[in-house]
Amino acid sequence: MASSRPRGGSFSRNISSAATAQIPGVKLGPNGTSFLSSGIPDLDQILGGGFTLGSLVMVMEDPEAPHHMLLLRNFMSQGLIHKQPLLYASPERDPRGFLGTLPSPMASKEEKSNERPSEQDANLRIAWQYKKYFGEQNSEVQRGGKAEYCNDFDLRKPLERHFYSGQRVDCISLRDSPNLVPLLERCSTFSAQISKSDGNITCAGRIAIQSLCSPQCDFFDKDWEMLSFIRSLKGMVRSSGAVAVISFPPSLVSPAFLKRWQHLADTLISVKAIPDEDKELAKLLTGYQDMLGLLSVHKVARINTQVPAILEATTFSMKLRKRRSLVLECLNQAPVDGSSGSSYGTSGTCSGSSKTGNLDF
Amino acid sequence: MAETICRALRDGAFEGEHAPALTIKDTIDTPLGSFVFNHILTQLTSNILAGKSQARGVVLVALSRPPSFYVELLKNKGFDVSSSSKWLRVLDCYSDPLGWKNKLLERGTVRNPYEETLLKTTLCKNLKELDKVLSSIIELGKEIVEEGKGRFAVAIDSVSEILRHSSLPSVARILSHLRSHDQVSCIFCLVHVDLHEAKVAATLEYLSTMHADVEPIVQRTNGQRNISEDLPMVEQSFKRGKFHVRFKRRNGRVRVMREELYVEGSGIKITEVSSEDGITAQSLVPKVQFNLDLSEKERLDRAKVVLPFEHQGTGKPIQIYDGRKSLNESENEEKQASVEKPQTTEDSGRGEIIYFRDSDDEMPDSDEDPDDDLDI
Amino acid sequence: MDNSRANLLEEAVGISKGGRVVVVEDCVETSGTFVLYHFLKRSLHPDSSDVVIFIAFSHPFSHYERILRKMGCNLTVHRKNHRFVFLDMLTLECPDRNGKETRQDGLLALYGEIEKAVEIYSSLEGSRTITIMIDDISLIEVAANGSSNHVLDFLHYCYTLKAKYGCSFVTLNHEDIYSSANMLPLILQPEYFADVIIKAEPLATGLASDVHGQLTVLNKGSVCDLGGSSSKVRNFHFRVKENIVDYFYPGTQT
Repeated sequence: MASSRPRGGSFSRNISSAATAQIPGVKLGPNGTSFLSSGIPDLDQILGGGFTLGSLVMVMEDPEAPHHMLLLRNFMSQGLIHKQPLLYASPERDPRGFLGTLPSPMASKEEKSNERPSEQDANLRIAWQYKKYFGEQNSEVQRGGKAEYCNDFDLRKPLERHFYSGQRVDCISLRDSPNLVPLLERCSTFSAQISKSDGNITCAGRIAIQSLCSPQCDFFDKDWEMLSFIRSLKGMVRSSGAVAVISFPPSLVSPAFLKRWQHLADTLISVKAIPDEDKELAKLLTGYQDMLGLLSVHKVARINTQVPAILEATTFSMKLRKRRSLVLECLNQAPVDGSSGSSYGTSGTCSGSSKTGNLDF
Repeated sequence: MAETICRALRDGAFEGEHAPALTIKDTIDTPLGSFVFNHILTQLTSNILAGKSQARGVVLVALSRPPSFYVELLKNKGFDVSSSSKWLRVLDCYSDPLGWKNKLLERGTVRNPYEETLLKTTLCKNLKELDKVLSSIIELGKEIVEEGKGRFAVAIDSVSEILRHSSLPSVARILSHLRSHDQVSCIFCLVHVDLHEAKVAATLEYLSTMHADVEPIVQRTNGQRNISEDLPMVEQSFKRGKFHVRFKRRNGRVRVMREELYVEGSGIKITEVSSEDGITAQSLVPKVQFNLDLSEKERLDRAKVVLPFEHQGTGKPIQIYDGRKSLNESENEEKQASVEKPQTTEDSGRGEIIYFRDSDDEMPDSDEDPDDDLDI
Repeated sequence: MDNSRANLLEEAVGISKGGRVVVVEDCVETSGTFVLYHFLKRSLHPDSSDVVIFIAFSHPFSHYERILRKMGCNLTVHRKNHRFVFLDMLTLECPDRNGKETRQDGLLALYGEIEKAVEIYSSLEGSRTITIMIDDISLIEVAANGSSNHVLDFLHYCYTLKAKYGCSFVTLNHEDIYSSANMLPLILQPEYFADVIIKAEPLATGLASDVHGQLTVLNKGSVCDLGGSSSKVRNFHFRVKENIVDYFYPGTQT
């Protein structure tokens, strides 16, 4: 039975409501897993529902662009709106100040539905491809009523204070300590609070660690210590109802260790800046003007299943819709691979686009 | 020719000289070193039993394979294992090199961790103390030879395991100590060179009088561990390899032997490669039989060759002359001709052939036989 | 239901017998864990009485339980019937706080547990093969704080169980971690010990939804039993489904 079902089906399957209603912001997924929203509706769709509860998400930063912060902000904001406990660690001196930069959810549904047609006009092809997602998402929104599974966030409007001034928001600076022991302890007390009892999750939590191996931290050259921290964190998160998101600059990790980090990640995402005013890219990619950067999904959490997740596309463009909310779009044209000769650029993109999106025309 | 090695090991040490030592090296590409080790061990054993060799017995230091493996090996080769205590001692560094089993036994976690064998074995429970290992090797050797005069052989399988626990200098010290010991007849050991840095291989080569390399028949060109491209070759490399021996002779010469090695049944077969092949192999890296690639220099040289075109593509379109002038060309030429004429008259002494075609109507390469009007 | 295909891996690996060492190697792009599940399921086949000792560093029991259940193998039942021993090492730490000894002790204790289990199960009557599975070796190295020699020591001790009890081994490791030269021993040493090496790699053409990657099986064949040079190398593609994995030669997929 399982083999005859189309594989993609397991992702978009919308398992319903009765059980999920108990825990705000948690959606049941396939294979007895549950999802938390990443705070970016499109990313949830790409990953098949969101971040799997109990998984370790690693975001490879671009050293030249702060796109990973967008992901972290939305991830944290979404959790706060669902009143989920949050643990945030960052190499800044005052990590709590970061909470002031979190985005606030879009105000009303009308605004959103007004926006959509115009967006469809602008990018017809993309809208066509995503239409089914939008439809599904709307149904989710309506059903959920007040506590939506996934919000659109207005990046220009800060989150209201009462969301994070309350309880269960924990912030740590990575800079203060010479090693990772204090952070690990905080993580373990955090995950102990929300741990599963008899396999049933009572509450979901979020751990966000920004720039784990940034040079401001004293331990940034202790490869094994960081690796062992990630492994311990992964074990903790796995046995609790939490999702940990770690962002890190991959260029600061030595290649052999980078592979280990990647192996440890359940879900692996990378963000890349795109060059400014690049005429060739502008020609190549539709909607280049609105792009912030590129997001690639390298690995999707495979908990309780042996089937690998093969995405239709792995690289997406990050755009701001109406200069407010973050959307991800399938690339209309894949960027030319550096290895392919420039004279074959056009043919290269053809094959590239057929790889990234199975568009049947 | 592999007998040369066995002969050298059989003859053993000369009075006042160090014992001959053989290092067998292999890599993961052709992991056949252990077969060579087995082959030499059994050859030496039969020599010992026949009384042909200087050594009276063998002390086998088992590190990477258990004593039971050697029981099977000797049985398969038709040796009487039950009476082996006269000529074989095994120092078992395989079963419990760090004393973990002993600790677990003391703690009561396990009851009977050790394996019984038919061979006479001594257990080594701390491989880190190499001096103790050395003294137990010599003790075991003395047990075989009984009185003071005889000599014994030492076989170490494999040095790679010792190197994980001890530093290279201490291993080198042990080996040279064994070689200079007046009761050691010969030493041979196995090492997987790719587990260690290059210095290890060099050190062992330096310390030994012979070293045998097992190499792939065809060297992998890319040097990568990517095997999906050349499956037949990889399959071959588990069965056969090049066997390359360098033999430091006492007269100061180095004897190089190149042979081929096949895994056959329970053992190996070493065949001689035709000498001609052996010599060329030294200078050439035989990637393929044919030289299909150009070297960088050859490629550059080829690019420089001037091809017999009318002009070398210096901005003008390349046209092949078919006997007729194209329109624009004839216009150009008329202009040029008026300019060039004075020059040609000046140096007419050089001599040139001026050919006037009868008419432009004539096809230069027409199928018509120009001689068909001849009457013969 | 589709035996001829499922057997492409079996055929390449050969008939199961005790005391065989299988090394599975994979990379970030293509996971090779499904090969581990394949061997797990095969060892726990209802017709045999073989025992599996599973040392899990990367996932909790529930993960394996759910996957194997979809393949028709109930680990919880096997656990009750003493055919499946699960050692959860997710949180094993052998830190280096008090010098070398502690680091070694963690692995020593783990080895003790393995040997104890092997001793108990092999003393039971009936002929059975005990298979020791490790998922995965690179994480032991992390637990041992990067000391690959300690990991190799641990593996060496595990392999000694092969001589006395005829245990089989199936271990997983990630090949792409060890690309730089100084890290090689941890991938090469097990390869020297191995009778069968299975490598999972992505297709050169990238991933496709109906072909998930390729397996290369290097069967050394003759090394352990001194008989014949039956070594063979096979390469084929695979597609992982929930309950079965399809294996097929390139281009023969329908």
